[in-house]
Amino acid sequence: MAHLEDQRETIYKVDPAHPETEDLPILRTEELLLNMGPQHPATHGVLKVILDLEGERITKSTVVMGFLHRGVEKLAEHGTYHQFIPHTDRLDYVCAMYNNFAYCRAVEKLMNVTVPERAEYLRTIVAEIQRIIGHLFWLGTQALDIGAMTVFFYTFRDREILLDWFDELCGARLTTSWYRIGGVERDFTASLETKIRDFLAYFPPKIDEYVVFLEKNRIWLARTVGVAVISAEDALGYGLSGPTLRGSGVDYDLRKYESYGAYPKCEFSVPVGKNGDTYDRYWIRIEEMRESIKIVRQCMDQMPKEGPVMADVPSVTLPPKDRVFTNLESMIQQFKLFSQGFDAPPGEIYCGTEAHKGELGFYIVSTGGGNPYRLKIRSPSFIHMGAFDFMAKGYMIADAVTIFGSYDIVMGECDR
Amino acid sequence: MDTQKQTKRLLDAVLFREIWKAMKVTFKHMLHRPMTFQYPREKRTIPDAHRGALGLLRYDNGQERCVGCDLCEAACPSRCIKVISEEDKSLPLQRYASEFYIDITKCVFCGYCVEACPVNALAMTKMYEYSTHDKRTLLFDKERLYDIGEQHLEDAKKYLYAHNQEQNDEESRAYRYHFPQPIGKTEASDS
Amino acid sequence: MALKPVTSPDTEAATIALNIDGETITAKEGVSLYDVISSMGKIVPAMCYHYTFDPFGSCGMCLVLQEGKKSPVRSCTAKATEGMVIRTDGEDLFAARKKAVEKHLSVHPLDCPVCDADGHCELQDMAFEHQVTDLANAKQKNIPEDTRSLVLDFNMNRCIACGECINICKDVQRIDALQFMKKGGFTQVVAKGDHALDCEFCGDCLAVCPVGAITNKFSKYVYKPWQLRKTTTTCNYCGDGCQMYVETKDTEVVRVTSPLSWKNKWGDRGDTINGHSGLCVRGRFGFQFIDSQDRLKEPLIRKETGLVPTPWIEALDTTAERLAQVKRQYGSEAIAGLITARCTNEELYVFQRFMRTVLGTNNLDSSARYGHMNFVRAVHHALGINRMMNTSADITRAKAILVVGANVTETNPVASLRVKAAICTYQASAIVVDSMQTNLAKLASHPAMVKPGTEGTFVKGLVKSVLEQDLIDPDLASQDPQALAALKAAAHAVSLETVAGETGVQVEMIQEAARVFAEAPRSVIVCGEGILRQQDGYDHTLSLIDLAWVTGKLNKPGCGINTFAEEGNEQGAVDMGVAPEFLPGPAPYGHATARQQFSEAWDATLPDAQAGKSLVEILEDCRTGKIKALYVVGENPLGTLPKSFGVEEALSQLELLICQDPFMTETAQHAHVVFPACTFAEKDGTVTNQEGMVQFVRPALDPLGESALDWHIMVGLANGMGHALPYETTQDIQTEIRKLLPGYYNLGQPRPVAADPTAYLRNGYAESVGARYGSRGRTQESGRPYGLKLIQLIYHSGKLSTKASGLMDISPNTGTLRMSLEECERLGLAEGGRVRLTSDAGSLELGVQADVNMLPGTCAFPEHFNEPPVKDLVRVVVDPVTRVPYFKSTQVTIEKI
Repeated sequence: MAHLEDQRETIYKVDPAHPETEDLPILRTEELLLNMGPQHPATHGVLKVILDLEGERITKSTVVMGFLHRGVEKLAEHGTYHQFIPHTDRLDYVCAMYNNFAYCRAVEKLMNVTVPERAEYLRTIVAEIQRIIGHLFWLGTQALDIGAMTVFFYTFRDREILLDWFDELCGARLTTSWYRIGGVERDFTASLETKIRDFLAYFPPKIDEYVVFLEKNRIWLARTVGVAVISAEDALGYGLSGPTLRGSGVDYDLRKYESYGAYPKCEFSVPVGKNGDTYDRYWIRIEEMRESIKIVRQCMDQMPKEGPVMADVPSVTLPPKDRVFTNLESMIQQFKLFSQGFDAPPGEIYCGTEAHKGELGFYIVSTGGGNPYRLKIRSPSFIHMGAFDFMAKGYMIADAVTIFGSYDIVMGECDR
Repeated sequence: MDTQKQTKRLLDAVLFREIWKAMKVTFKHMLHRPMTFQYPREKRTIPDAHRGALGLLRYDNGQERCVGCDLCEAACPSRCIKVISEEDKSLPLQRYASEFYIDITKCVFCGYCVEACPVNALAMTKMYEYSTHDKRTLLFDKERLYDIGEQHLEDAKKYLYAHNQEQNDEESRAYRYHFPQPIGKTEASDS
Repeated sequence: MALKPVTSPDTEAATIALNIDGETITAKEGVSLYDVISSMGKIVPAMCYHYTFDPFGSCGMCLVLQEGKKSPVRSCTAKATEGMVIRTDGEDLFAARKKAVEKHLSVHPLDCPVCDADGHCELQDMAFEHQVTDLANAKQKNIPEDTRSLVLDFNMNRCIACGECINICKDVQRIDALQFMKKGGFTQVVAKGDHALDCEFCGDCLAVCPVGAITNKFSKYVYKPWQLRKTTTTCNYCGDGCQMYVETKDTEVVRVTSPLSWKNKWGDRGDTINGHSGLCVRGRFGFQFIDSQDRLKEPLIRKETGLVPTPWIEALDTTAERLAQVKRQYGSEAIAGLITARCTNEELYVFQRFMRTVLGTNNLDSSARYGHMNFVRAVHHALGINRMMNTSADITRAKAILVVGANVTETNPVASLRVKAAICTYQASAIVVDSMQTNLAKLASHPAMVKPGTEGTFVKGLVKSVLEQDLIDPDLASQDPQALAALKAAAHAVSLETVAGETGVQVEMIQEAARVFAEAPRSVIVCGEGILRQQDGYDHTLSLIDLAWVTGKLNKPGCGINTFAEEGNEQGAVDMGVAPEFLPGPAPYGHATARQQFSEAWDATLPDAQAGKSLVEILEDCRTGKIKALYVVGENPLGTLPKSFGVEEALSQLELLICQDPFMTETAQHAHVVFPACTFAEKDGTVTNQEGMVQFVRPALDPLGESALDWHIMVGLANGMGHALPYETTQDIQTEIRKLLPGYYNLGQPRPVAADPTAYLRNGYAESVGARYGSRGRTQESGRPYGLKLIQLIYHSGKLSTKASGLMDISPNTGTLRMSLEECERLGLAEGGRVRLTSDAGSLELGVQADVNMLPGTCAFPEHFNEPPVKDLVRVVVDPVTRVPYFKSTQVTIEKI
């Protein structure tokens, strides 16, 4: 009992400046430490943030990451370059194609492999479709996190169409592993091409539908406009990229600057925001979906009707299977590539690719031989989380969800 | 002009016009057929390229295709395959896999083993319903894998065609692995 | 052949300068251009080249461009000459090499999926490296696979006719068992005469085969190279200490490979003086015992019902308690220990410390006692050293080699290659003294086939002949005139005619041999079991030392006296002091300073300076009941010694017999406690080879079942007895050894030894030498006409190899007596048959097998097999000085039945 009394003593005490309030207990004010996550449903996985709260305002936030750490970078050192492709599926597990793409591009740069033209178009089409999927996923979940549930159903409905299309393309909806070093695993079939064209006609009106739900909705506006504002300078300072950076008015898009794939042959614009708040980022993503549709349409039209989808570099790429059965050289190639991998030249390579979240980069150190000596993944989610403390300062606790949602973070990629 | 705009904005605000617009979309969807499946009763049509459970295949004459070359084991990114090969006691100098395990709990369904196989002995099928209460049964052994291959032979073949592993039924017959011939035992006993 | 090592110890080739890829480089004139290029670190692909033999030039890959020549030349067969300008790289050369690969590929079968070499195949590497695709006109050979041999399968469809197998067999192994033969329209490699291959099965052809044309039957089809985990370790079979790779897959040993391989082809031919880094049949194919089904997997304790599996903790506890009780009741002297010399240095060290400090007894011995101890004691006594004097390079470079009673091609196959190289490549004279037509005798310039057991007499004859012909080292007269005079006086007792009569070698031959040995600038002596394990082995070794001393071959560089050790770590057993007469070092047990050093380091009082019994005495004391408890680690006296020695009786008197072995040996069947021990492939530690190199043994597998490392068990027993030994890891033991024996490990390099006979010659030499030469040699036994020898086979080593199924397949126990063809015919046994073999100790019946290597008047039986128990026909004779039991030969009568 005495113990309880003591506690009361610490909580209620008399303010010595106002002795007249002696008989009124006053509440002591102190900072509150709040653990958010790792099981919080809005943390997109297992993110934990320790928030220092002053009332409901965030004064400081400490991001605790690594709950989903699987040592992917280390795994890369123990397999061939080719074997790492399925591991990249599990980085940003909602947008596996783009990870495949970024990784394959890095290895191709290391091995100096040129991808055939048709394959470049296929890669670009699939990458843009993956971008649409990514943005749809973001839109649905971000709206859901903020409290607008309806959008979620519609974006997921359309995402589902594309995922089924992926299933038909490569055999899996999420863990695609479709890209290969030097090309792609499998060409489009006629039915796939028809489905894409159907989708191109079907999708643009759907974007307008989502916009109807959100654009003028006052709750949405209240929760996004002016939330998580970051200036262009700060955004660059924190190394942000993708829509998060472009929302602050920096026109930086690797598709334009590095011009890989079939992008240089397509016309498209890069939407850039002004205020650097969550709403601008939302708007950019909506616009990007429209641009993606444009790119896909152009690619479908320009793409050579026929042609190889894998580069023919015997020391790097797999031989076609029918040759393996009949041809000793191809059989040897098959065995060497699968059991030992190709012999990469010693050197270091960095290759960034514009994924829908931002710049996804692979940094590979090779000392020769079949496996990378070191592989580092520059994942946008991880870099963006670095800016969280800065961006969340002064906002309400409820905005924390909006802020890391606005980066489009996926913990698989963040923790790796 | 300006006043008109402001009036509109005021009206929008007062009448919750954006909500009505959105509700219109929502109500329109009430007339649609549902997008969802009632899973155990209804099932998706699965494309031929689908990467499902792995099965082992035989040639048309019933001979096991697998020669136990262990390349799938080398190709597997998740190291879930274990092949134990040896000389076939009944057919001298023929290599075969006496044991073949795929730890399906570790499998990532990337299909690399199929791509690697120099005799197309492995194929993926459309089978995906093999959940169990006993985790130990998820270590597929050779018998189970051949069972899967047999039960889903059509799917397996379609998979191989879809992924350019085999040309078609006719041509695939040419893709047979021929073993080196042993020196005649008679010759050995002669000398 | 001019491309043989151009720099021999006697001639130095001229130095020349040539230009390779713009760099000026100096080389020896006449060496292969390929060697010069590879010495720069540039690797030109070549499939038929290996540095251990002369370039063959069949693959056509090693093309380089020489200025002034239009077409590329093969660099391997081209000789480096002054002023050459060479280009090794370029598009044109790449294309030319690619063409060469295509030529090989176009007739190669599509065998990668089933080929054992897949993933470790030079043709694959070359095809991949040169990006060969879409070959036109590929056709397949269809040659049936030759599976007739017991060990190797020849699939000639895969052969690229590089000739490496043939060359290594001919130039390095000097066996020459393979040849090219045009058969079925293709040039194929076949065993000589197109029979089933029946050779020594060293497997070097398998190691150098760059493709999968030669494969190994014991691991056929069960692996792909990428699945295997390679552990570099040291072979445990003999004292050569060959490095080898034990390749394992999960918990089984799949194969053993050697550093010699086509992958390891660059080097200078001259480097082979240190060895060619291959293996012999035992090392390469005798690995099956490691994961054998017969291995003991749990501790056993004798109860009423026999040996019962018992948990470790209980087994250790009970044993420690019973040991302690024996010690309390009868004193430390009633306990003794034996250990096998196949254990690692660390285990041997812990064993002797355990025996000496925990049990407090000096009754301990190792299997080095069976023969190696004779050599060590002799050189220790006479020269103050403890092991053989020369390195393998010395032996290769020698000009004269005296091989006495050493069938080294059988006992130490890899070390014997040094002798073979000396004879064949460096043209050394060899005097081979043996009672059998050994392989070396066939190569030797001076084979001296003596009657069984008279090798020692022959050595005395040599000494006498040296004195007679005045081949004495001129310095001796001034240095040790008294000793020389004493030797001369002693040699009066020997007459060359008597020696000739006893040994059956003509006097001229003895004279000639003595001259060759004494006049050569570098002479080495190699003695073996024919001396060390025969009666008076110690004396005969001293006579050999006399010979070396009197001809001045003791202190000259490149000269010396050597022996090859039979078991893996016999030298280590001596160095670690596992003998009653030695402390680690080895220091003499009675040496006051050493005793003080060790008792301080171990914080214990050592047993009395005079105490200590050796193997023979231990067993005798067991029989008389003086010793009550015996701790046997890996030894098997019951299976080794003849029945007449009464080992079984001795063991049955014991109150406590502890056996620690990987297998259930004959001795273990009598034990009260059996501990499961590990084989070398599960151990971590070092072994010392005969040359004094300390080499690492690394664990390739986890201990099988519940078996434990030997030193773990010893430490466990010590703990149970309340004397904790301060070891947790092998490194702890090594640290202690390093502290007590500074420089013992010496980075794995043998420490040079300096023989100094001065003290020996000046103290009592004159007295002892007279007695030595005056003795009548061996006592004639009962006029039985045949000498029976228990011989060693190349395919086996001790009893351990009989647990390796591969070696048993190659060389099963035929249970037959080996006799010369003439004798067989004389006895009417040319077609085989059975004989009754009678000696003083007993008689038995067994089959007969003609053996071309046997001489008339001798017969032999492999010592590795106890069925039929031929060993029991022999009586044990114990050396009066070194207490070595001699039981490897006797006289017998043979009757046909």
